[in-house]
Amino acid sequence: MIGVLDACFIIDWCKYRHRELLEQLFATLFIHEETLAQLKSETTITYVSRLLSEGKLRLYPWSQIEEDEYLRLRGEIIHDPRIPSLERPDILCLIMAKNLNAILLSENTGIHRVTEFHPRYRGLIVWTALETIENMIYKNILNVSSEDEFLKLVKEYEEDTGHIFKRSRLEKSLRRIKSWLKR
Amino acid sequence: MNTVKVSNDLVEKWRKEDEEARRIRREKANWEFIKSQPPRIRAALEYLIEKGDRYVAAKIAGLTLEEFDELRRKANIPVVI
Repeated sequence: MIGVLDACFIIDWCKYRHRELLEQLFATLFIHEETLAQLKSETTITYVSRLLSEGKLRLYPWSQIEEDEYLRLRGEIIHDPRIPSLERPDILCLIMAKNLNAILLSENTGIHRVTEFHPRYRGLIVWTALETIENMIYKNILNVSSEDEFLKLVKEYEEDTGHIFKRSRLEKSLRRIKSWLKR
Repeated sequence: MNTVKVSNDLVEKWRKEDEEARRIRREKANWEFIKSQPPRIRAALEYLIEKGDRYVAAKIAGLTLEEFDELRRKANIPVVI
């Protein structure tokens, strides 16, 4: 499984007590050099540098064709006030994930909305930390034997990062976990 | 410049999501801390509560994303996703 990191996701994920488990979930992670340039704190840089040095994280080789797609996509979404502003590195992540057929790790509402309405990007898989934790359970990287244990893991993430998952997102995730626990 | 049409159903879904997120941020925020900040930082934190957009809020504050995120946590403004 291949993943693409956006800046907000990795900044937040670095604060999570189980952050080291990310590298067990993905065979390879990619980051754009412009996303890397957005990272400033010692904690984030240290974590990301370790992933790069171990070869788990790679810099994405950006191409001119992708730059053309960036200009096209930006033009299509920039005027819509319902899409929270997307910085250039965020749009680059969308294009990378699509071209790599990868899972995009992002907690940016604008990114999620583009994949809900845009014909070329609809269907692209975007995970927040919630779906990331959920998939760690399916892969036996994190172990839970009840819904409460799953909710405890989610609560830990929320406490560590100052996040709150929307009720609808959490309910969907919990339904999938319930079904998995019954297997 | 081409734009892509968004269905009315999706627009309504997003409106409700935005409303829920804004309500949570307003309820959880430490208003005392926010009001004690210098004008530029206060404006950025208030913008974040209303819009939930960390990128623009960081730019209003004149800080990097990570510097602003530290302030966000001190102000107890959750990221609602």
